[in-house]
Amino acid sequence: MKLNKCFKHAFNMVLHSKLRSWLTITGIVIGVAAVIAIVSIGDGMQQTLNAQLNALGGDIVTISPGFERGGGMFFMRGGGGGGGGSSAPQATTKAIVLGRSDLQALKGLPDIALIDTNIRGSVNISYLGKTGKVSVTGVDQKVWSQITTIAIKDGRMLDSADQNVIVIEGGLASSYFSQPIGINKMVTINGGSFRVVGILDDSGTAVYMPIQMAYQVIPDKTVDIYDTLVVKIKDQNQLDEVITKIQNKLMTARHVTQNKMDFSVTSRKEMQQARAATMSSMSNFLLAIAAVSLIVGSIGIANTMFTSVLEKTKEIGIMKAIGARNPDILLIFLFNAGFIGLVGGIIGIILGTMLSGFMPALMGGGLPMTRGGTIVTLNSIIMALSVSVIVGILAGLIPAYQASKLKPVDALRYE
Amino acid sequence: MMETIMELQDVWKIYRMGEVEVPALKGISVEIKKGDFVAIIGASGSGKSTMMNLIGCLDIPSRGRIYLKSQDISTLSESDLASFRGKTIGFIFQQYNLIQSMSAFENVMLPLEFLEYNDKDAANRAREILTLVGLSDKMHYRPTQLSGGQQQRVSIARSLASNPEIILADEPTGALDSVTGREVLDMLHRLWEEQGKTIIMVTHDLNLAKYAHTTIELKDGQIMRISENNEVNKK
Repeated sequence: MKLNKCFKHAFNMVLHSKLRSWLTITGIVIGVAAVIAIVSIGDGMQQTLNAQLNALGGDIVTISPGFERGGGMFFMRGGGGGGGGSSAPQATTKAIVLGRSDLQALKGLPDIALIDTNIRGSVNISYLGKTGKVSVTGVDQKVWSQITTIAIKDGRMLDSADQNVIVIEGGLASSYFSQPIGINKMVTINGGSFRVVGILDDSGTAVYMPIQMAYQVIPDKTVDIYDTLVVKIKDQNQLDEVITKIQNKLMTARHVTQNKMDFSVTSRKEMQQARAATMSSMSNFLLAIAAVSLIVGSIGIANTMFTSVLEKTKEIGIMKAIGARNPDILLIFLFNAGFIGLVGGIIGIILGTMLSGFMPALMGGGLPMTRGGTIVTLNSIIMALSVSVIVGILAGLIPAYQASKLKPVDALRYE
Repeated sequence: MMETIMELQDVWKIYRMGEVEVPALKGISVEIKKGDFVAIIGASGSGKSTMMNLIGCLDIPSRGRIYLKSQDISTLSESDLASFRGKTIGFIFQQYNLIQSMSAFENVMLPLEFLEYNDKDAANRAREILTLVGLSDKMHYRPTQLSGGQQQRVSIARSLASNPEIILADEPTGALDSVTGREVLDMLHRLWEEQGKTIIMVTHDLNLAKYAHTTIELKDGQIMRISENNEVNKK
């Protein structure tokens, strides 16, 4: 029998056992929809991450004292707690710090455009009689505005002539205190008065001030000892090479070898890549769960096909009596199973795409890393469709083979 | 002398029931001539169904040889046998055995599809035969919308679709009332007379045997008698 005729008979078989076929198709629909929706979250996360990676600047490198071997070391903006002492590794006995000599060494590298020196600490802040505790970062005001990736929302960045002024993050300005903090308002930080000259466009609560003022405000800090050096490199395509150069330069300056390196050089790119890896393993885990429902769906197809072979035993006998060859019967049943998979796949993709649109709302809008929304890519559609058809055919393989091997005389006798 | 279309040589069919071997046919040897109208008769359990399955190439013998148009059927692969059967033998069953989900027209088309006729030829052929059996106005009816007699006529049309030399009818009137049964027998007779088909009819009804030219009488898996009825002749 010609292939198109086999397909026609397979299609008719689906049409004539509507309820059972649709129930089986539903199993595949659920599996495929789950896979599509979950993959779309993963792809959405990926796109958001890529966007963030670009926005953050792939040209920023952070150098910190201390080194953690075998683990990631993250230095989040505004997240610093107790200053330099707390970020030093536990194993060392002598305080490991970054100082003026390190700064001088880096200034000798032609690949570096700018270097910002930072210290960080926790301070008491009071405004209109209310107090709180926030993180403050002392920055080199001459370069900070060119290195930071946060935009200014109101007022201005720090200037080289500034003293006793601060720039604060949006969250501190708008909602930390009962009264919002506006431009030119005075706040008290560890007893000193500071004027707010700029508000940043984000939701954090950190405070930025000239580093010379920060030495006076943050306790236990020594002048010319830095918590981090933030470097902007000239060519971000050279990032990995420049990181190596920085490491080599500092190892020479600090008289340490690779094995005893007492500082870390991290780029935001690396931080993002570490986050991406976490995201990827999370979405793989979710995908595995979704795949289980697809497997259950495929068992449904196998079950339906076995029932169908049993139900159609007599018809198989008739067909064989009037000239059907074994491959004809095999193909009719395989196409039937594949067709169930295909229809299930198509409906599953439509449902999954709709579901993925609702997904952020369903999860209370709090789905991490999907500010870019969920994305259903052509790749995942092609993948889902081919998987569902292949799953259908695989599930139909044994029943179809059994059907094709039925002896006509036995099949005809079957009631 | 008519040419032999089918020959059974010392054919045995033995079924195993656990440890016990039950012979259904015991050394049958018979020749069926081309263009003959043969009735195979016998009581229940005489082995006539087994013989029909073997003659119809739906089963192969435990021992002995069956030649269909000089071809030893036990040497053919399952698929080759299916194609050979499809081209050479048309089946008419007691319970019609039509595919319920298909229309009369589609049922008649089916053997032609298995034999890979092109669509146009197959459709023309199906229409032609359905007209021949008097169902030109009911081609697109499903079996459930047709009477028993009409269903049997669809079944006859299907058996004729590929223009086979042999029509094998298993109790063709068994499910029909006497009037309709007679119509069906007349139709078989016309096929024999006018189209020169070889008709092999399996039945337990001795009254039907009188339509046949040759009668093979089976008892306990053996041929009791082969008789020719010279009153039944082609006009």
